[in-house]
Order: sequence, then structure tokens, then C-alpha cells
Amino acid sequence: MYEQIERYLAGSMDADERSAFEALMHTDPRLAKQVQEHRVILQAMQQYGKRNALRTQLNNIHSDMETNRSGKQPAWKVFWNRNAQTMGVAASVSLLSVFGTLWSVQQMKAPVQQQTVRYVELRREVDKLKKAQTAIIKGINNTNKAVPRPARFSGTGFALTSDGYMVTSSHVVEGADSIMVENKAGQKYKVHEVYRDQAHDLSILKIEDPAFEGFGKLPYTFKTAESDLGEKVYTLGYPREDIVFGEGSLSSSSGFEGDTTAYQISIPLNPGNSGGPLLDDKGNLVGVISGKQAGQEGAAFAIKSAYLLQLISELPLATTLSPLSLPQKNALTGISRPQQLKKLRDFVFVVKVYN
Amino acid sequence: MKRGLYETDEAVIAGIRCGDDRALAHMYKLHFPMVSHLILSNNGTDDEAKDIYQEGVIVFYEKIKDNSLELSCQIKTYLYSVCRRLWLKKLAEKGRFAVKLDDAENYLMLEEDVPQHEENERQFGQMEVAMNQLGEPCRSLLEDYYIRTQSMQEITERFGYTNSDTAKNQKYKCLQRLKKIFFTNYKPEDTLL
Repeated sequence: MYEQIERYLAGSMDADERSAFEALMHTDPRLAKQVQEHRVILQAMQQYGKRNALRTQLNNIHSDMETNRSGKQPAWKVFWNRNAQTMGVAASVSLLSVFGTLWSVQQMKAPVQQQTVRYVELRREVDKLKKAQTAIIKGINNTNKAVPRPARFSGTGFALTSDGYMVTSSHVVEGADSIMVENKAGQKYKVHEVYRDQAHDLSILKIEDPAFEGFGKLPYTFKTAESDLGEKVYTLGYPREDIVFGEGSLSSSSGFEGDTTAYQISIPLNPGNSGGPLLDDKGNLVGVISGKQAGQEGAAFAIKSAYLLQLISELPLATTLSPLSLPQKNALTGISRPQQLKKLRDFVFVVKVYN
Repeated sequence: MKRGLYETDEAVIAGIRCGDDRALAHMYKLHFPMVSHLILSNNGTDDEAKDIYQEGVIVFYEKIKDNSLELSCQIKTYLYSVCRRLWLKKLAEKGRFAVKLDDAENYLMLEEDVPQHEENERQFGQMEVAMNQLGEPCRSLLEDYYIRTQSMQEITERFGYTNSDTAKNQKYKCLQRLKKIFFTNYKPEDTLL
């Protein structure tokens, strides 16, 4: 009987035997129950077998994975995986706010920074277009002459001696290939720099033109002593193509950031004024214009004449040149300002720098 | 291991269906970190993660073998949902009733798959108990015959019976005992039959 059940469930009975057995099952409920139980237990057992096999397989896979993975995750890593997103957001927010703050502070500080003290050297960058135009016009008028190159920078300079020594600011002639000077009367000479004092921003130039025959008698003298506060001073210079007069007073006996080698003067100055002479009412040269303070009204600076004289006295020691014979007689004392300027203007030159 | 073969879910399912161990291994390794993360970040340990995950994989595997799986989502989501449910149950058993999981993935509700799995699991547990109670050599004999499907001849030789009739007789006795133990504890539900 037992064997029959087994064969029935395994499906190895032939058709006749099978139908007979099924008929028997119908009539005998006990047999039917036994068959049922047998089926269940077989199923359960097979399930059990399969499940066990699967478990072993999974365990193998797992241990295989474990060995590949080199140890288990440490606690901090679990924590990190769990909170990485939040931390990422927090970090980016804080970074953003830090840099945002820095940036906006920078923005707010920017205009302030512009107002902080800054020294501006008054050398003029020549308007290229205008120069080019005049060159073209000249070219049309005078076709066989080579078109002159426009000057790159310009400043002001003035005569030291009647035999062709001049002075200007050394930042004007900085990096120059060649230097030309020209005055209101149209005299035009080629000069070269013979000596410079970078510390006091002064340069001595000498005219080397063969056509040069001397300036004639210089009308001003050089003041050795320091000038007093409030003294009326004036200058002539070339902040543009034409000569420009500027007047004011000596407002401080020290210059930019307490520089004692310079005066502060209240003359409106512009790029191109650098190297101009600063004279007092009696026609004494008291200084050389050098610069102004950016963003500050009426604060211009001039190197004191004492340092110019010191430079001149150094000249024969430092170079092979013979000592300079400075003018001794002042022709400007006691005459009106326009008369002074008329005498003066031929000795003030525009310094054109080519490079 | 050829990774490229099992890049899509379909390939993995097809692989498992035709009994490819590498497909199963690939899938197992691919999704374990996700479940492990779920369990570790919800008061679980590594071992618990392993158990839960394996149970989840078994559910999935058996469904595929039965051809009863209607997968409307990725394998990943399915496994996550199953494991999530199993873990919730486990937590409830451990007495943590106020359970709210930190979820990192989407999940399905799975109203049917898990209960059915539990029923299977119950049967499986009973069978294991019964088998253990049965003792040797009955256990090995039954396993060899019914699970490893060895022939009566091989069994006769292996267990040193004089002839296959003795073996059959022995097997019959063992089966009777197993039935007795098994059915005293396990009441089959109608759904199983």
C-alpha cells in the first residue's frame, strides 16, 4: 500500500493502475488522507532541501563578499553614510555664507579704498590720436620729411644754466629712448639725461643739439633756505599742448605722508605739470613740481629747491661734468606777475619722452 | 566574474531562472550594501543585516523559481521593500513598538508576498525541527532519498543494509516517524494544498 502511494505521487503508475488507485481513494477516505499527508510531507521535505541548499549558497556568497570587502564598516563610516547629505548641505551653506560675507565686505570696502592716500605722479600720457592727426597734417604739408613718432609721455622741465642744463622729474623721463624739449617760442632741442636722483625724483638733462646756442640770461635764482608757510607761489607747466600758469600758496612744509623733502602746495595741477618750476613772488625758485595726492583737493607736492641744489653739487663728483654755474641775478623781483611770466616762459619747456 | 552579463534586471532574473549561480551572486553582492545600510541605520547589527537580507533574497529567489513574480519595479526596490518589512517585523518582535524607519529608498507595501513567505517559513521551521528530532540515520536516509534523489541501490550500499528491501523497509519506518512528528506540530493550511 505504502509503495503504491509513493508510486502514485511520483506519477510512475500506468493509466489503468492509476485510475484503479484513484477509485480506491474515492471509496476509502483513510487512504485519501494518507495520500494527502504523504504529498504534504514530500513537498515540505523537498522545500526544506532546496531551502537548505539556497542558504548554504547565500552564505558562501556572503562570506566571499566579506573577504573581498576587507573588514566591516566602522561606526564612523555608518554615521557618515547616514548623514553625508545633511553634512554636505550644511558645509555648502557655511562655505557660501563665509565667502559671501567676505565678498560683500570687499565690495563695501572698495570705494573706501579708492579714497585712501595715493600719490599720483603728474606725467602726462600724450593723447595719441591728436598727435597722430598733427603728424598726418605735417606729412601732407611736408611730404619728403619722415613722419615723427608721437611722444609717449610728456612733462615739464626748466633751464638750470644758460649753457643748456635743465631739470625735470625723473619719473617723467623714466624708461626714455629719446627726450625732446620744446618751449613756447618754438625752440626745440634734443636732450639727454646726465644725472638722476631717484630718491628725490629729480633728473638733470643736457641739451646736445649742435644748433643750440645757449638760453641767454636766466631771470630766476635758486632759494637755498626753506620757504615759509603761506607764501604765494606759482608755476608754469604743460598739462596740455599750451603753457599753463597756476598759482597758490605754500600750504605745508612737508609733503606726501610727512615727506620733509617736499612742500605741499595749493595749486591745481594736472598730469603734465611734473617737473615744472615752483617760484615765489620775488622770483626765487623754491621747488620742482612732482605729484599730487589722489582724491584730495588741492594737495600737490613739490620737491624743495635745497634738494635740487644738493643734486647739482653732487653732479661734478658723480660724473665727469664740470660744476654748473647757476644764475646769480634775479630779474623778476619787483615786477608784476604778467611781466614775470613773460620773462619766465621761454625757460620753461615741455619735455617729450619717446620710447 | 563577468559583470557585463547581468547589467539589467531582466538579465539577472533570466539568469536565476535558469539556475545560474553567478547571476544570484552578482545580484546578492550588488544590493547587499543598500539593505545593510537600512538595517545598520535602524538599530541593527551586521549579523541581523545578513539574516534579513538573506531572507529577502530567498523570498525573491523562490518567487522567480515559481514564476509567480510580477515585478513592477526594480529588483532593488523589491528587495528593499521585502527586507524593510521583515526588519519591521523583527523589530516588533524585539519589543520596539514605536517603530519608524529611516528610509533611504522607495518601497512597496507588498501585502501578499511576505505573509506567504512567513507561511513557508513556518513549514520550513517545523520540518527542520522534525528532522532534528528524527535523529540519525533516519535523517540522512530520508535526505538522501527524497532531497538528493539517490537511488535505493546507492542508499543500500552506503548505509550497509543487506539488500534494498531492508533499506526500503527502514525508509518506510523513518517516513512514518517523520510524519508523526511533523503533523503533530504543523497543521497545513488550505492554501498550501
